Amino acid sequence: MAIELIDAVLCSGCAACVDSCPMDVIRMDPDEDVAVIRYGEDCMMCELCLLDCPEDAITVTPFAPSPPVASWG
Amino acid sequence: MKQTHAIRTVASDVLVVGGGMAGCFAAVKARAAGASVTVVDKGYLGKAGQTPFAGGMLIFNEEWGDELDAWMEQIAVYGDHLNRRDWTELCFRESHARYEDLVSWGVQFERDAAGELLRGGVPLGPCKASHMGTRTPSLKLRRQVERSGACIVDRTMVSGLLKGGDAVVGAVGFPLDRDEVVVFRAGAVVLAAGAGGLKVPGWPIGDLTSDGDAMAYRAGATITGKEFVDPHASRADQDAPSAFGSFGRPGDGGRPRFGPVVNAEGDELRPTGTLFLSFEFEAHAGRAPLTMKLKDEDVRVVGGAASGMSVHKAEGVWPAGLDCSSDVPGLYAAGDALGTMQTGATYAAIGQSIANCAVTGARAGEAAAGYAAAAAARAAATADAAAQRAVEDLLAPLRRRGGFSPRWVTQVLQNTMLPYFVMYVKHGDRLQAALTTVEFLRDHLVPKLYARDQHELRLAHETGNMVLNAEMRLRASLFRSESRGCHYREDYPRRDDHEWLAWVLISEEDGHMALRKEPVPAAWHPDPALSYEERYPLRYPGE
Repeated sequence: MAIELIDAVLCSGCAACVDSCPMDVIRMDPDEDVAVIRYGEDCMMCELCLLDCPEDAITVTPFAPSPPVASWG
Repeated sequence: MKQTHAIRTVASDVLVVGGGMAGCFAAVKARAAGASVTVVDKGYLGKAGQTPFAGGMLIFNEEWGDELDAWMEQIAVYGDHLNRRDWTELCFRESHARYEDLVSWGVQFERDAAGELLRGGVPLGPCKASHMGTRTPSLKLRRQVERSGACIVDRTMVSGLLKGGDAVVGAVGFPLDRDEVVVFRAGAVVLAAGAGGLKVPGWPIGDLTSDGDAMAYRAGATITGKEFVDPHASRADQDAPSAFGSFGRPGDGGRPRFGPVVNAEGDELRPTGTLFLSFEFEAHAGRAPLTMKLKDEDVRVVGGAASGMSVHKAEGVWPAGLDCSSDVPGLYAAGDALGTMQTGATYAAIGQSIANCAVTGARAGEAAAGYAAAAAARAAATADAAAQRAVEDLLAPLRRRGGFSPRWVTQVLQNTMLPYFVMYVKHGDRLQAALTTVEFLRDHLVPKLYARDQHELRLAHETGNMVLNAEMRLRASLFRSESRGCHYREDYPRRDDHEWLAWVLISEEDGHMALRKEPVPAAWHPDPALSYEERYPLRYPGE
């Protein structure tokens, strides 16, 4: 699904992916000092984060979950 | 709202909203003209908007043997005679100087072994574009903005313009990751926030939600071009294979891959224009699925990837002058946020978009700097009451404890607008039906959008802007009772030169959306001695 994983072991905490994401999907975890997927449902799968990650820690797939339309939400 | 928001004030002569190709040129040229400049981007400037994904730039140069009349003819004929010829010519003539700017800023264009610039086009006419690759040019632009001394504000959404009397004197916005509001005070504002789609999977413009058009409209500016659709297609078998071109992947070096397309009956589609509605017409006739034959795989193709967006430069703020001013004092626009109609009703030549962004960005920056120098005193005297009201509007979704989530309202909007038979193969009845739904979203859901944090506050404002964009599109499409370029009406399947050599202009009057025609000057009309088929080489079903 879209951005699937930021490998916490590989992540160096450089935050390049936070800047790369036009959709504000990724944030830094202040306690662990690694990047985390915070708003994954807003990923548009542009792969800029994947391209900019110096540690190859990010996995993005070209598929996104498509939730059913609820009556309200 | 759990916490109190601190209010930060940022003052400059010129505020540029959006940091793609147009916004960066505006910032650099306004600085060169002596203005203090702030550039604000919803993402990280250089990695947001469409610019990281764009690679081709049209460059015209008479010294290279390019003939203006022949280039102009290509745009007029394939833009269905709805291009503004003043802007088309101006963008051609100034494209080379802007190309030289880019080269001097370190942007590299593809060259042959002898160092000659590579130029290419489509077989519709002589217009040619050159390729600068994707991703890195926008970072070179950022470096240039930094060198210019402009102040860059990243990851901050601007949600509304500030008025002082009749004039625009700034804007309000908020950072995505701090509970803060920013009041930007400026002598002039350049909107370079791009166009916008409806967050459709398969096209990397999810951060573009017509924010510039929406803010300009609410501030009293005139908007144009909403009836024309961008018919980019994507892969049906994946949600997002298209980041760097319709069928390309980053590993392809940013180049889209193309191959012949066959319909369900095995017939190959004849190439038509650059970006026309051929796929949609096949689907409507019941001949989908469509398959693109690439060298190493067959790909199922589906249209509507950029749904919600117009042909580049065929939507946005209607320019009041060739200096990129709007009809609101102090408000300028550039790039995809400016409706120059450079290419008319279809995208008549590859690379026009980037060229236009560079040319209009530079022009808007210089003009805004000149205006701001004269208006500095007025900006300083902006009524605090107006700023306070704008801040309250900005924060309203955070203050609601419940209502409707931006993601759900966006989903409902997508379900209303995305099927091909609403905005691509149009009919008055279906447009009216969709408009009824969109009016309900506007009146009942948008005023009750709620947000739980700054990220969702962004989504809430984006959703309101997308609903407004949808309403403009539906009304403009209903208003233009003909077919022209990438606006096809089943119930009016021919161009109507008698009634519709005209642009559609939209503005707010007494709280309602008002539409009117702006006639194309007679000197720009196609030769009436030519037959309809000679004037218009592209055919519609049903005509």
